Amino acid sequence: MPSDRIIYIIFFLALGLTALLVLYPAYYALELSFQHRESLISEPEWVWFQNYARVLAMPDFWAALGRGVIFAGLTILLQIVLGIGFALLLAREFPGMPVIRGIAVLPYLLPTVVVALTFRWMLDGSVGIFSKAAQLLGYDYLPWGDDPYMAMITVILISVWIWTPFVTLTCLAGLQSIPEDIYEAARIDGAGPWQRFWHITLPQLRSVLLVVLLLRAIWMFNKFDIVWLMTRGGPQQATEQLPIFSYRQAFEMYDVGAGAAVSAISFVILSVLILIYFRLFPLDRKD
Amino acid sequence: MVKKSPLDPTGQGFRVNGSPSRRSVIKGVGAAAAVAPFALSAPAVLAADKTVRFLNAEPSVDSVRAMRFAAAQYEKETGIKVQMDSVPGGKAFEKLQASIQSGRPYDIATLSFVGDVLLLANEKKIVPLNSIISKYDWGPRILFPMQGDNYWYPYDYNLCWINYRKDLYAAKSLREPGNWDGMMGNLAALTGDGENQLRHGIVHPIGSNGAANYTAFGYMWANGVKLFDDDWNVVLDSPDILPKAAEYLDFMADLTQYMPPSPMQSDWANLVGDFQGGIISHTPGTGRLIDQMGLTMPEKAKQVSSFLFPSKDGKKFAVNHGYDGWVVLDTAMTDEALKFLEWFSDEHLINFLHSSPVHYQPTRLDIYEDPRWTSHPAFETFADILAMQKRVLNDPDVIIRSIDTEGPEPDVRAGKVFRSYALPEMIQDRVLNGTSATDSVRTAAEKIRKIIAA
Repeated sequence: MPSDRIIYIIFFLALGLTALLVLYPAYYALELSFQHRESLISEPEWVWFQNYARVLAMPDFWAALGRGVIFAGLTILLQIVLGIGFALLLAREFPGMPVIRGIAVLPYLLPTVVVALTFRWMLDGSVGIFSKAAQLLGYDYLPWGDDPYMAMITVILISVWIWTPFVTLTCLAGLQSIPEDIYEAARIDGAGPWQRFWHITLPQLRSVLLVVLLLRAIWMFNKFDIVWLMTRGGPQQATEQLPIFSYRQAFEMYDVGAGAAVSAISFVILSVLILIYFRLFPLDRKD
Repeated sequence: MVKKSPLDPTGQGFRVNGSPSRRSVIKGVGAAAAVAPFALSAPAVLAADKTVRFLNAEPSVDSVRAMRFAAAQYEKETGIKVQMDSVPGGKAFEKLQASIQSGRPYDIATLSFVGDVLLLANEKKIVPLNSIISKYDWGPRILFPMQGDNYWYPYDYNLCWINYRKDLYAAKSLREPGNWDGMMGNLAALTGDGENQLRHGIVHPIGSNGAANYTAFGYMWANGVKLFDDDWNVVLDSPDILPKAAEYLDFMADLTQYMPPSPMQSDWANLVGDFQGGIISHTPGTGRLIDQMGLTMPEKAKQVSSFLFPSKDGKKFAVNHGYDGWVVLDTAMTDEALKFLEWFSDEHLINFLHSSPVHYQPTRLDIYEDPRWTSHPAFETFADILAMQKRVLNDPDVIIRSIDTEGPEPDVRAGKVFRSYALPEMIQDRVLNGTSATDSVRTAAEKIRKIIAA
């Protein structure tokens, strides 16, 4: 039947596009990780697992992995906690609610490069508004980019500022699907706000939160743009996590194979963590 | 309603009035779309088009205008079209690699990093320019031949020196500093809240970025520091060099008291913006700043002059090397690209250099005496700076160095050191961590050894 044929055509077109745009680049990256080449135009030399062995022997690789775990862990934790909090606030009816909801989503709509450049100017030691505020409080300036800990805290807080609205939005949608009857019944049974949150809201949001946690973990572990734009991995590599380490190996240290190997290892680590995550928290389980 | 036609016996493809049916149009367009990418990228087709594709990495309005004017002239004279694509300097090599991988490489490209030129030459993606290069006399340390062949045509030195406010110097009766003590004295005199003083003295980016690599090491070169010996051994921590490098680091630590807060975060924008905004009295850089100010604030631009990075004892001076050049790729249009480059070099290079006359310091010695070059009004306004540029090329006490051109010959190892930011991190170690200068130098030397061994 013609309609079946159209469905098949669309299906295979989609499959072909996926293969072209996702599978082939992934295969190409994997292939690069087994080659020695100084640039993408260099003649490749097949070296099997040498790049992997070299990368795993680099102290900088393990340090970048550790920093990536810290960066992803803290940003996800803060995003989830704040996201749920804002969702609970925005779920209430109050005058001007649509406007407030719109404003709450704004950071997520801004291009990352705009956010990074704006924050860089706001944090500038000479003319930045944060530096001026620090001077009013009797401090010289905010040494956010000079101190390794301050730099990490800064990129974490800016990441939280940008991506918390995503958690807020998804939780808000989840909250609106919880039947009011359940809260009504709990109130009649004498449950307080905290008990209603702990025993009704959180369990009802479970499936939403599991997906949000998974997506945010993948995105933050692979996050490159905001860190690169804010600190380029500095000072003294204090904010350099695996994506930046991979980029620097491939495009700054003329070692495309090592850069690809870092990406492949990062992919394996993430895949293993996701498998464990699904075993611990199956998405289809209803509590 | 479709009827059979003598032209279409099946009755499927043509309507009775002879116009094509929707199906035949879709089939035709589909087939054309499928074949077009292959057809258009075929070398024979490109050659038949007679189009030279030029990747320009000087994207300022005046420079692009000068390039396009030359391209139009060339097409008028020869019938060969020169298609100009402009990108920021830092993106040129990435775009060039992408064009090579896609099977449609540019025919000419601007590059700003000798390591990139080396990579392309090693992979035989670019062709030697020996016949063009041999036509002219060149200034010192600008050609970077590779195994006897010159693969690139350098068009400007792009040297980094120190720009300063000469009106403030005059008001305080100061002279250009001849050594580090003089530099500190001038900064002290010009920094503060008093009359003819500015809030800060100078900015030197010290973060892990290109701005630091380019603008922070002039004093170090002037002080006689080298990274490698003639056999590519790291000599930064050798008994001869280590004390000089340590002196430089201590000087940089002292300089920070005259810098705006957080030099770690300073970048190109601060070098220009803080100077134009009256926050600092000195800024390292090229003549680009002066050319820009000449366009937007001409009266202020006249108050700017420049001096070279001094050494500690004042016996030597230095500038940090920048350089930009063109390469010709091995394509179906190589011969035409070479002809265009030679024509451009003879007929339009000076016009292009005039698009930023203080910034584009000529690499060819004949240009300095060419009346077309010296006729630019900038030669009157900034006569002292242009005289300094000539002095740099002839004075044996002036050192022209940069991290990426260190070593006995052009080599990707120096490029690796440049892009590892091992030397900005050496400054960070001294300035931010408070590590002793000698320990910071030793740590950096070890790091460089690992980098070039990898």
